[in-house]
Amino acid sequence: MRAMKKGLMTVVGVALVGSQLVACSNNANQSTPAATPDASKPAATQAAAKPAEITWWNFPNFQTLDGEVGKYEKQIIAAFNQKHPEIKVNLEMITFDGGPQKLNVAIASNTAPDVIYDAPGRIIDWGKKKLLAPLNDIVTSEVKNDIAPAFWKQSMVGDQIVMYPLNTGPFMMAVNKTVFEKIGALDLLPLSRPDRTWTVAEYEKALQAVKEKAPEIIPTGFFAKSTAGDQGTRAYLANMGVSRFLSEDNSKVAINTDNAGKALDWVVKATKDKISVAGAASLAAADVNDLFLQGKLAFTLNYSPVLKAQNVSNKKVQFEDVLLPFPTLDGSKPKLEPFLGGLAIFNNGNADKIAASKKFIDFVVNDPEWGKKNVIQTGGLSARTSVTGLYNDPEYKYADLARQFITDPPTIADGYAEIRTFWFPELQRALTGGATGKEALDAFAAKANEAITKAKAQVAK
Amino acid sequence: MEAAVSKSRKFVIRDWLMSYIFLLPAFGFFLVFVAYPMLRGIYISFFDYSLRNFDFIGFDNYVSLFHNETFLKSMRNTILLVVIAVPIVIVFSIFVAVNIYKMKEFSRSFFRGVFYLPAVSSVVSITVVWGWIYHPNYGILNYLTGMLGFEPISWLGDTRTALLAIIAVLITTSVGQPIILYVASLGNIPTSYIEAAEIDRATPWQIFLKIVWPMLMPTNLYVIVITTINTFQCFALIQLLTSGGPVYSTSTVMYGVYEQAFLLGHFGLASAMGILLAIVIGIISTIQFKYFGSDVEY
Repeated sequence: MRAMKKGLMTVVGVALVGSQLVACSNNANQSTPAATPDASKPAATQAAAKPAEITWWNFPNFQTLDGEVGKYEKQIIAAFNQKHPEIKVNLEMITFDGGPQKLNVAIASNTAPDVIYDAPGRIIDWGKKKLLAPLNDIVTSEVKNDIAPAFWKQSMVGDQIVMYPLNTGPFMMAVNKTVFEKIGALDLLPLSRPDRTWTVAEYEKALQAVKEKAPEIIPTGFFAKSTAGDQGTRAYLANMGVSRFLSEDNSKVAINTDNAGKALDWVVKATKDKISVAGAASLAAADVNDLFLQGKLAFTLNYSPVLKAQNVSNKKVQFEDVLLPFPTLDGSKPKLEPFLGGLAIFNNGNADKIAASKKFIDFVVNDPEWGKKNVIQTGGLSARTSVTGLYNDPEYKYADLARQFITDPPTIADGYAEIRTFWFPELQRALTGGATGKEALDAFAAKANEAITKAKAQVAK
Repeated sequence: MEAAVSKSRKFVIRDWLMSYIFLLPAFGFFLVFVAYPMLRGIYISFFDYSLRNFDFIGFDNYVSLFHNETFLKSMRNTILLVVIAVPIVIVFSIFVAVNIYKMKEFSRSFFRGVFYLPAVSSVVSITVVWGWIYHPNYGILNYLTGMLGFEPISWLGDTRTALLAIIAVLITTSVGQPIILYVASLGNIPTSYIEAAEIDRATPWQIFLKIVWPMLMPTNLYVIVITTINTFQCFALIQLLTSGGPVYSTSTVMYGVYEQAFLLGHFGLASAMGILLAIVIGIISTIQFKYFGSDVEY
């Protein structure tokens, strides 16, 4: 009996040690992120009509059909399969809330999907970590010349194209025009100007009008709970302070100017004066947009043609939402960060899957029938300069015009994922009275610059 | 005689084997879902394990944590959460249990159900409800304080109130199980002890301190240890209500682990944080076993 016990314990011991050895052997694979035997070759040509099964993870980038998430995506796949029956596409819908975390875990455990449709903020980071398959061989010179260099800057790592751009649109503010019509203050909005540009003083006047004439409506909003939607707060402060978030070469923080500090102080004061939403430090971008969609907020900071289209079914009361650029301190032209969406391929070390994924991406973006249809379904503008007039709507016409204000976004900076985690705690510090606007922005700059330097060193490795 | 001994040994071996066979599935689950992840977590904590790298760095993750202001603040918040919430949970649970125990069967069942409801409800739904209660613009709490003439407070957006607001939610979700356990334990205390004390003219407070409290020691130990561990691991509340803010004032070690691993992809650093938390929980549990352990039997 003692011998049997001893034997059993030995088996258990071997099992535990064995599990560690297995762990070690798995890590060997992880240290080299996906073998790339043929990835450098034009993969689309490698496997002409080989059967393949690929997985596509998609955020809800397309508007839903009949309120069913993923229904439109299934139609794309069905149409694709008419041309490529040999490629099976498995669709998995992920959410903007939990999707990024799910992707991080999948990448770390070598179970990343083959195709992803996302924005440069994450895609460029994966590209820099050499997790993506280059798409150079499926981007024709015609397409390359038809997409603005600013968009390619957000889709490439060095000379490698890691994201095929599909849709775009400038990120802006929005106003509940119906409220201003009701209070007879429409003239306070810059809607009669073709480019709709305006100053902080004009904006403040409009907010005061709402406060006085429609006390049940909160004039404007701000949020600082988490990183989601931080673009809105960045652009708000940068424009009101006539500064940039990062320097032009993305090598350091540029937002910590005196004017931007004053802009943040203005937000704090506006909150105290009840012209900006109370409790901004505990509100997320989605909370503020919800207030706007419920008709309880006159202005919201995080809007775009894409969000405007997606919000149609989310409005709790009917009102006219109109796009506006961020006001600037001196009335100068605003700088708007672009929304850019595109598709990328994770290099999972299987050339056949990469080739099949490339065919799928090419279909989604360039198919004569589905290419335009897909852009329209996102509610955005085409990333291609030549593709215009997709919508017969004055707001889209304005969004097209506002493309002139687009600036390069900081999302492509080295260490961006880390940089943005320092942003909202410093906003909270200012909002809760722990620091002045300038002090908070300086503290952010110090931490972010360190993260950029560290990330640059890692990329250089 | 020899045949009988051999037969009995055969039975013993068969029983012994059978017991191990029945234990095997549970042991298998333990290995796969507890032992392996735990050992792997320790292993990973010695690596710079991010989306791209897997480089051995020894104790660097641990060393960096002791220089990481956010981690130290999270550890401080976690300990604060335990120090404030656990005693309140214990005192409140005993107080409620003693009062419930005195009631008639119907009322006793009703109140047990009322207090146990949050324990069986989804933490996420309860937290979302609390999020609405605390909402700075249209939360019911500000509505009520407004009726008393107070200015609206941003309960979760103010560094002075955020942690307390979290603690209040934590307490409401934590008291259900202890109350049930205490009510059950009170029923196990022999009534003759209390009757004898009453004959000796002991006050209710003396009866509680000298008889009830010592007799509840085994339950106290269990409740204190479990509540402490659960409080150390508090995550969903923080994630949903404050995301660790404002200015890290509600960030806990568990939230830090999530942030480092799943938001930033620093799995090595997150593992080191998890291991440190496990060590702290281990030390505190050992102390609790030492001071609250007792051999009371009834």
